[in-house]
Amino acid sequence: MTSDLLLLLGAAGASAVETVEAVTIVLALGATRGWRSPLLGAGAAVGVLAVAIAALGPALEAVPIDWLRLVVGSLLLVFGLQWLRKAILRAAGFLPVHDEEQTYAEEVARARAAGASEPGLDGYAFTISFKAVLLEGLEIAFIVITLGASQGSTLLAAVGAVAAVIAVVAVAAAVRRPLARVPENQLAFAVGVMLTAFGTFWASEGAGVEWPGDDAALPVLIAAIAAWALAFVVLLRRRRTLAEEPAA
Amino acid sequence: MRRAIAAVVDFIVGDDVWVALGVGAAIAVTAVLARLPLDPWWLLPLAVPAVVAVSLLRTAGLGSRTGSRRRSAG
Repeated sequence: MTSDLLLLLGAAGASAVETVEAVTIVLALGATRGWRSPLLGAGAAVGVLAVAIAALGPALEAVPIDWLRLVVGSLLLVFGLQWLRKAILRAAGFLPVHDEEQTYAEEVARARAAGASEPGLDGYAFTISFKAVLLEGLEIAFIVITLGASQGSTLLAAVGAVAAVIAVVAVAAAVRRPLARVPENQLAFAVGVMLTAFGTFWASEGAGVEWPGDDAALPVLIAAIAAWALAFVVLLRRRRTLAEEPAA
Repeated sequence: MRRAIAAVVDFIVGDDVWVALGVGAAIAVTAVLARLPLDPWWLLPLAVPAVVAVSLLRTAGLGSRTGSRRRSAG
């Protein structure tokens, strides 16, 4: 039950982060070149992703569970560590934080520089929107499929992801501005912690480990990884401050 | 085909291939130890932070303030 809730939260959090990024680009294109083509591009990408999830998710659940958890858990762990590593570097000031207002302004400038909109289907707006939604959506699809298949709950992971996507798109449609107030970097940090914990848990189980307390080990693992990651942020911030101090 | 495989690897592994290799080695050792009469549940929770710590310290040591311009996860 707890692991189901954590799975739902992990899928929803990751989807919210990626949707905010995709929506910024679609909004910039829509505001500059009209809404029809960017929305068609976004819709086409969502269609491709939906087919991929519908085909791969149930197919993976048919694979023997130990092998599935070993392979998919390992992939999830490596993928989750990308998120965690970047989130720690961002929080410590070694990587620039996501700034949706800045991304929006850059995308608007690029869309204006691309020339006037074409009559009918605007190829530029359609292509950029399709690529943005497909790239961000691939991460959502990967997380939904790996999280869901490892736990035998692809549907639950998909529900969490779809709910987050709908919520972010609804807010974006209402305000018609980039969602700069969403705590994107903090969300990415939390998602990195959760993906790392899920990956560690399932890869270990797939390798033949039996966790003390079974599923109860998962929240403990999440808390331990979060504490370690926060401690590392403090360590790296100190290191940066020391490096930037002028020599006495 | 080669480009497609490279893109998939880049998508999953990201900026630091040593993190993926270190984690892969830790999982392999876990699988071997799990065949012996001991339960190495502690191995990955120790190995994963250690591997990432090395990667982070190396990145921080280089003083990179901007990081990779490649688009990757997270």
